[in-house]
Amino acid sequence: MTRLRRPASRRGGGPLAGEGRWALAFLLPTLLGLAVLSAGPILATLAISLTKWDLLTAPKLVGLDNFLALLSDDRFLKALRNTFFYTVVSVPIGLVVALALALALNTKVRGIAFIRTAYFLPVVTSTIAIALVWQWIYSADSGLLNQVLGVFGITSQKWLSDPTLAMPSIIAMSIWQGLGVNVIIFLAGLQAIPSDLLDAASVDGAGSWARLRNVTLPLLTPSVFFTGVLSLIGSFQVFDQIFVLVKPRPTEATITVVYFIYENGFRFFKMGYASAASWILFLIVAFFSAVYFRSQNRWVHYQ
Amino acid sequence: MFSDRTATGGARRRRLLALVGGLAIVISACGGSTASPSGAAQTAAAASASQAIESSVPPSAAPSDAGYTGPEATITYSIWGDPQEIKNQQAIVDAFHATTPKITVKVTVSDWDPYWDKLQTSIAGGDAPDVFAMDGPLFPDYQTRDVLLDLKPFIDRDGYDLGQLADQAVSDFKTPDGQFGVPRDLNVVALYYNKKMFDTAGIPYPDGTWDWAKLVDVAKQLTLKGAGGKTSQWGFYTESTDMENYWSELVWQNGGDIISADHKTSLVGSDQAAGGIQFLQDLIWKHKVMPDAAITDALGDAFEQGQAAMEANGSWLVATHQAAGLDFGIAPLPKGPAGQATSINPTGAVVYKGTKSPEAAWAFVKYLASPAAQTKLMELKASLPANKAVLTGPFATSFDGAKVLADAIGYAHIKPSFKGFNDWTTALQTELDANVFTEPKKTARQALTDVLPKLDEILAGQ
Repeated sequence: MTRLRRPASRRGGGPLAGEGRWALAFLLPTLLGLAVLSAGPILATLAISLTKWDLLTAPKLVGLDNFLALLSDDRFLKALRNTFFYTVVSVPIGLVVALALALALNTKVRGIAFIRTAYFLPVVTSTIAIALVWQWIYSADSGLLNQVLGVFGITSQKWLSDPTLAMPSIIAMSIWQGLGVNVIIFLAGLQAIPSDLLDAASVDGAGSWARLRNVTLPLLTPSVFFTGVLSLIGSFQVFDQIFVLVKPRPTEATITVVYFIYENGFRFFKMGYASAASWILFLIVAFFSAVYFRSQNRWVHYQ
Repeated sequence: MFSDRTATGGARRRRLLALVGGLAIVISACGGSTASPSGAAQTAAAASASQAIESSVPPSAAPSDAGYTGPEATITYSIWGDPQEIKNQQAIVDAFHATTPKITVKVTVSDWDPYWDKLQTSIAGGDAPDVFAMDGPLFPDYQTRDVLLDLKPFIDRDGYDLGQLADQAVSDFKTPDGQFGVPRDLNVVALYYNKKMFDTAGIPYPDGTWDWAKLVDVAKQLTLKGAGGKTSQWGFYTESTDMENYWSELVWQNGGDIISADHKTSLVGSDQAAGGIQFLQDLIWKHKVMPDAAITDALGDAFEQGQAAMEANGSWLVATHQAAGLDFGIAPLPKGPAGQATSINPTGAVVYKGTKSPEAAWAFVKYLASPAAQTKLMELKASLPANKAVLTGPFATSFDGAKVLADAIGYAHIKPSFKGFNDWTTALQTELDANVFTEPKKTARQALTDVLPKLDEILAGQ
């Protein structure tokens, strides 16, 4: 359980210089892709964000007007608030549930492969199909959830149209949908833990809880860190669940930043405004990702 | 279930069908590998992915080229649509190719939402389809951005008679600068009624004499409670999420209007407009004769499900209701205090300004509005033909109630059509959905007063 070993400085050549060149060669396709398909559009968006542009006629330079207008746009602020709420709730719950499931699935019982597959299925199912099923579950009229709750005497709820319930309902579906990815990563992390460490702990008299607490979890922190950053970024970009589940259009309780961007860019002919919104989102995601990365020294243990 | 997110009513049907298609795929997938996928699922799968279909009809033996004298050309034609529409439009394109073998038309079909995304990006990239379908309300957003070809010079040169097409539909694509599209088809809104439910209750069918009071009265009689006080049959159903079906009609029937003629001032703030929208809120929350939005989200079209006696909705639903096996009739919408009114919403064929084959594109647009193409289009029962000869001729007798729809054009207002339409309607509809229809938190009067400054701000920003 040593900290990440920092390699000695490679500056000035040395035995690693040749390897570095090879590494660069292997990285080149990805780097090129990033430069052309990501960095280019990102910079273009920055330029567009300073203009008023409807996509069809020539853009007009407006300076920071779009950013200033966004800060007083009630719909954008609501979208920001909803997106934060979505992230703050869905990321921790999603990780804890996935971790618990991975621990439960990390056994050698009959049919375990089938069970693992079952948890992964939502990941490879189209969101449209998932949304159809969840619409039925959440249906206000005769949905599964209301019927089950009805057995316990709980009155029917309008899961998707009640402003206080809509976002939590969407979060529940998203957690279920995204669980498979996190579970798979956690499972891989669990299986990479050397059994001799666990055996040694047993010999030292550690019970199952102590082994989990002091051996398994610390060694799993790289996986937690990795899934955490994926979930964090993915949550800030939540779109498709909103796009398909909330009909006919998101309300002020369910609109998210990416939906706002889509709506303004492709429905309202406001590409500059949409680009400015996407830059605000980009800066927010970058900030939280940076904070998260800085925190890893304090809690992530590499073998 | 699903409804359209944009603010155009005709699109709702398209979205619905696309998603039903999605469901069919899921079902066929659930059937496992042994079950052969149904034809419907295959068509739906073909529809949900956007695709290009090349006209496959060989040149006819005696090419006439219908007066086309230009060079051989291949043009692209983009439409939004569902499986039936793809087949139907392809048949029209094939027939065109048979009469004009020098022109080959490639049809590209997309679902409603991606259609507009792709159209905008392809225009921005200078690679737009030569001819594409245009929704009436969204026309100004494109025309004012100078991406559509003015067809007036072609019309004048050929002596083409626009008078053969429905007048409101023609004028929807006309500006002081020219004629930027030719109507392909159109939709109106009318009252569907379930004959069996009326017969069972011994109530005469709706007719042109009905007014709002009569609608409420009969809808109350036809709203039935089942076990536990739950409504087992609704007297009435409509949608509250789009002005076209059916609150704009109520506004007009109450003497109000939506937007000023110069498109600079929102008129929905008037007491007459508020009164019309209030009537819809009352149908849901005061008279309780129609399902609210949460129930509709779950149930879909209650009339189509055989759970509502009447439905105020668009002519695009005829085929859907027939497919649902309903025995239904069609009547004019009930009159309001200021008389009769409905909504007409045309789809036009427009030509991309940057097309390399303007002559071929114009020849095809003319053909789309011709009696031959319009008669084929009519078979879809997805909309009304724009060609008057077909509309009042073969269409009017093509099914029970078709004449009511054709006659409705006589008292129809054009669906508002202005720059910033999506932006404006989203702001208005978000307010109405949240505070007037989904829950009666505000009166229509209060909600409109609250949202009006935002609406005029949007118009000022166009």
